[in-house]
Amino acid sequence: MASEFSTIIRSLIASTPSGEIKDVYKDLVTITGENSGDTILDAIAQYNVANFIPVRVGDKSVIISNYNKEGSKFFDPATSQLFSVDHLERRAFDVGPSEKKLDSTSESIYKDLRNYTSNTFPGDVSYALYPKGDSSREIVIALVSTKYSPGNFWNGHWRSVYHYNTETSQLKGTIDIDVHYYEDGNVSFVCTKDVENESAHDVVLAIKTLEGKLEEELRASFNNLNEKEFKLLRRRLPVTRSRINWGKGIGSYRLGKDSAENQFR
Amino acid sequence: MSSLDAALDILRRLDPTKIEENLSQLIKLDPNLAEDLLTSVDTPLQVKKDPHSSQKEFLTCDYNRDIDSHRSPWSNRYVPELSPEDLAESPFPTDSVRRTEVLANDSFDIYRDLYYEGGVSSVYLWDLGDDTDDFAGVVLLKKGTQSKSSWDAIHVFEALQTEGSNQWVYRLTTTIILHLDSGREMHLSGNLTRQTEKEVTRPASVSENSDAFRVWHIANLGALVEEVESQMRNQLEVVYFDKTRDIYRELRDSQQASTASSRSAHEEVVKGLQGM
Repeated sequence: MASEFSTIIRSLIASTPSGEIKDVYKDLVTITGENSGDTILDAIAQYNVANFIPVRVGDKSVIISNYNKEGSKFFDPATSQLFSVDHLERRAFDVGPSEKKLDSTSESIYKDLRNYTSNTFPGDVSYALYPKGDSSREIVIALVSTKYSPGNFWNGHWRSVYHYNTETSQLKGTIDIDVHYYEDGNVSFVCTKDVENESAHDVVLAIKTLEGKLEEELRASFNNLNEKEFKLLRRRLPVTRSRINWGKGIGSYRLGKDSAENQFR
Repeated sequence: MSSLDAALDILRRLDPTKIEENLSQLIKLDPNLAEDLLTSVDTPLQVKKDPHSSQKEFLTCDYNRDIDSHRSPWSNRYVPELSPEDLAESPFPTDSVRRTEVLANDSFDIYRDLYYEGGVSSVYLWDLGDDTDDFAGVVLLKKGTQSKSSWDAIHVFEALQTEGSNQWVYRLTTTIILHLDSGREMHLSGNLTRQTEKEVTRPASVSENSDAFRVWHIANLGALVEEVESQMRNQLEVVYFDKTRDIYRELRDSQQASTASSRSAHEEVVKGLQGM
């Protein structure tokens, strides 16, 4: 059973933006001491797998997940490589050959993904196709785009993960967007949306359409939050349209309001 | 780096909607951090009702807390009531500071009404020692609820007299916690902090420790709070909407395809010209 200590560490790591794991690791070591380093690294390894974090394998960026995990190692079917991961540095080591490879269907989807991502994702983009369990009909498609700019106090992370059945053409997925801005504060924009298409014959085109639709919805949501929610909280100027006359006379605002209300009684 | 700095760094990085949970977990990791963290980290304000003042709502924070009770600015009593033994040890402002506090609550209640058209406000003051007129306090304003959109403004200040003069300096640290939720799949939330300072000379006509003197302090503070909130409202709008959308476009940009292809067409033309 996990100790309370490791539960706390895991929960803190779990709510860390992906671009700032290393900073939080250092902070946690400062607070809890060098001895807890392994507990924190375990939590980070879990985080990386659960969140489809890309790691460097040679000059390629490969997404790691439960779907390409083999014991303590990970495989990349696109390059038929097997490797271990330094989870803190997000780097592969002990890279060797693997028997896993993309079948012809996956190969063609993989090419479509390359075209789609290179045209639409200006961030550091990674994409992957993994078999889902032993079934040859079901595959997992993951797409990650990151842009880390700690020097400007912001980091952004896009992740979309789909389950696709090549026989029924059913596509189901979740899109997660996380934007963090932390100069003089801590502001985060988070979006999580489940999407699906029952007959995605051209799967990458279907993904492109679903993601494009979410982008449209976001635009509308932002406008709604700004025009409605934000404006309802605090006015730019008082009802009187001018700055307040502070001091002894401030009570007259209340008198004015009361008499205005009384007129309607 | 000290443990406190490390804990503060973690809190400005982790999901701001989980600040209370993360705060309590950090305190479990190192209980020695509890006092410093609780006084230096602003969390969303809670609302209580004052049974001694017609159930009027007031805001609670670490500054008006004693044990698990909070002092109401309306009745100056702790809610829920403390035992007589505990109450004997509880902090209360001096009579003179309390008089200023009552006037300040009155003024900021009007301010709240004019800018927020609803919500709750509370002002808490305390003196800074027996041999000085210096005082400190916190002005709190809240609109909305955490489950939907909400705005929490926390203005902590000190009012300090420059020795042997009529100069007063107001040092203000403002944190605004803003949570925007469309009730759909997305939310924008977090906080921004800003420090400001203002110096004001007391006019000779305002004699010390009179009500006019108290009203003068409140007018200075009020104008400062009003100015800072207006500036920060603009800043929040820029950060929450423009900045976030700019960063999003660094991740995914459906317009990029067309600009990229026109760029490569342009490059082709340039290459062609160079080859001539």
